[in-house]
Amino acid sequence: MRNLISTKENTWCIGCGDFGIFAAVRKTIQALNEAGTPLADIVMTSGIGCHGKIFDYLQISGIYGLHGRAVATASGIKLANPKLKVITFGGDGDSLGEGLEHTMFAAKRNMDITLILHNNGNYGLTTGQASPLSTLGFRGPTTPMGNVEKSFTPVTLMMEAGASFVARCYSAKIDHLSQILHQAINHKGFSFVEVLQPCVSYNNTYKLYNERCQIMEASPKDEDEARRIAKSEDPIYLGIYRQEDIPVYHEQINIEGEPLTLAQRKALLQEHS
Amino acid sequence: MNSKIYSVLIGGKAGEGVKKAAQVIADLAVKQNLYTFQADDYQSLIRGGHNFSLISIASEKVYNSYEKADLIVSFDQRSVLRHLDDMAEGALHFCNEGDSDDPRVIPLPLSALMKEHYKGTAHISLAAVAIFAALCGISLTSLQDIIKAEFKRQVEENLAYASAIYAIIRERYPEPQITFDTNATPPAKIYSGNQMIALGAYAAGLDYYYGYPMTPASSILHYLARMRDSHGVHAIHAESELAAINMAIGSVFAGRRSAVGSSGGGFALMEEAFSLAGMVEAPLLCILSSRPGPATGVATFTGQEDLYFALNQGHGEFARIVASPDCLERAFSLAAELLDLAWECQSPTILLTEKHLSEGLINVDLPLEDVPSLLEDKAEFTKPYLRYAITESGVSPLKFPGADHCDEEDIIKWNSNEHEESGVRTDEAPNIVAMRDKRDRKYETIAKATKKYQRIAKYGQDGPIVFAYGSTAYELREAQKYLPFQIVVPIYLEPFPFEELAEYQNAEIIVVEHASHPNFARFLKEKLNVRVKANILRYDGRHFHTDELIAKLKEAIDA
Repeated sequence: MRNLISTKENTWCIGCGDFGIFAAVRKTIQALNEAGTPLADIVMTSGIGCHGKIFDYLQISGIYGLHGRAVATASGIKLANPKLKVITFGGDGDSLGEGLEHTMFAAKRNMDITLILHNNGNYGLTTGQASPLSTLGFRGPTTPMGNVEKSFTPVTLMMEAGASFVARCYSAKIDHLSQILHQAINHKGFSFVEVLQPCVSYNNTYKLYNERCQIMEASPKDEDEARRIAKSEDPIYLGIYRQEDIPVYHEQINIEGEPLTLAQRKALLQEHS
Repeated sequence: MNSKIYSVLIGGKAGEGVKKAAQVIADLAVKQNLYTFQADDYQSLIRGGHNFSLISIASEKVYNSYEKADLIVSFDQRSVLRHLDDMAEGALHFCNEGDSDDPRVIPLPLSALMKEHYKGTAHISLAAVAIFAALCGISLTSLQDIIKAEFKRQVEENLAYASAIYAIIRERYPEPQITFDTNATPPAKIYSGNQMIALGAYAAGLDYYYGYPMTPASSILHYLARMRDSHGVHAIHAESELAAINMAIGSVFAGRRSAVGSSGGGFALMEEAFSLAGMVEAPLLCILSSRPGPATGVATFTGQEDLYFALNQGHGEFARIVASPDCLERAFSLAAELLDLAWECQSPTILLTEKHLSEGLINVDLPLEDVPSLLEDKAEFTKPYLRYAITESGVSPLKFPGADHCDEEDIIKWNSNEHEESGVRTDEAPNIVAMRDKRDRKYETIAKATKKYQRIAKYGQDGPIVFAYGSTAYELREAQKYLPFQIVVPIYLEPFPFEELAEYQNAEIIVVEHASHPNFARFLKEKLNVRVKANILRYDGRHFHTDELIAKLKEAIDA
């Protein structure tokens, strides 16, 4: 298999949680490739933010799109060629702030793509402003007196929106993350993987996550339990919160096959007039 | 003056089926081998208010409505009052008994007949169809056939009600009141401008259309949605215009021809991603159907305020094509051309139109012979593949992920950041300049590519020169039947068709447009240094009736 790392200089901060995500993703892609998925059939989209730089580092085709819109871009790719496995990288400001609508609707439609949410609890690239997942009291350039907005809980938010695969991982637990990503990408439907990702410059949560993160021994027994433990702050439960087999969007709207030729179209339109 | 043109006005409340009745009347006329033009004047509401539809019927091509109608059917009091002054000499104006005691109006017992013939919801509007059929001398059987075909619910009740009205009219007017001499065989099917746009794009390979409802663009979305199973095209109602255009860019990345459409407000929401299309060099057709703005503006009326908005769409500098169809046939061929040009030049293209064309209804043939044939894939790819390979034309060969032409080594990267040839982001000054220069070479490539199509239209040879674009050309063409002048219409606006319009450099012209500022005139001054003798502007959301426009033109010409 070809090298998945580009020659582009990596400019993530030393110790950035994005390195863990990058390592896990490469591992997952290698495993997918070994299991028979051609690299040409894997594409990615990313938004804008520290997370988005993965686009330049990972040697996979895709679109480095607009801030907040990577899920919409990914949806369009999937609809145009359902054979492709489409992976979206999003930040918390990107996918739950600017682009929340697309994340919610991709989940609602059960669009068959995977969203990896780099949750670093702030806007790193733009120097540490509060994000939709910042904790109460978080101090950043736009919240010098402390953040007064409550954070979303991404797992329960996505469960409510209708995501058929919902999981939470931690960027420092690379093997676990890679295993979950493998399942998420192979899952038929909208897969949402929240990755807790320390930002060493503006929101260093390594100590907190190392103390509190705990991989669930078994999946929650029902939705109520899933929602309840997803809200737990200590321990913070990692693993799969929901995995269900429900119809995917592109199959329900009968997307199939090759496009009609111009001659076929002309013939149909001649009948028309 | 409109002796050869018979003008019908149907008026009533929203929800009474005014538009539908008018469409069926136009269909009946087409079945009599006549030409029709229909414009609907309606408000942004579901029930109540006042809606009316105008139908011009003629034995020759007809492009516009007339101020005075020969036949008016009013379903309520408001319609009677509003349209009393719209009666042409000798006009027949029918209304429901009790709605008016004006001697010029002919009351019919519509309420009583509805009560007699309907158990449930009554369809008052069928009266207009029945009256028209009876006045034309169309047989009762033909009337019944079209009612059965067009009104699928409460068929028996509809037939009884319409037949009763038909009988009353025939008794009152034993001889046909509406007659035409015609040997013509006009097109057999009525289309709207939006339908022509949808079908033109479809003919040129459109697979995915993404949109969010906004009048007057919505009907493209509706029309294509209905074609899914019969024609294999997908119309997707996204969560917002932002989603629509970003999804469309995803679909073109994956190799499928895609388009988006909206009116001004929705198009403004698409603006950032329009720039994305410029940056990633996405071949994307964008349809902008204008209504009066700013903001929500006047939702269901017409306007041409978005000329510069279309020309300057998107932040940053990049090439695009903007063109506007002047007639329904052109709406079809231009949609096809602009979709094809988008792919040829890997640039976004804008089809600029307005409510008057989008929702105007005319019987036309589909110009299927005008569809460009698909580009031959003769691209030569570099190894390794470089999405943004520097080329002389500025256009780099396209590969699509997962396609047969890809192997395991190919990496196809589209990047909204400034990028190197590989598609990887760059901040380096020489790289920025190199990539900008590559994209800028597409201005020339685009200008050449558009030359294979008809970029301007001219109607008439003599007399004063009148410039217009979009459906305003229709208004002028109808006026031209009564007044000698020549009409010049740039179809392509960007790149500007200098060669074709060279003869109008420094010319004295009159400009007609639907805006409160003479934007189009300003544009022509910039491009051709024309002397604008008069601006004829209208910005109340309405189109010009033929009679009104003639008066304005005479005033301008004589000034």
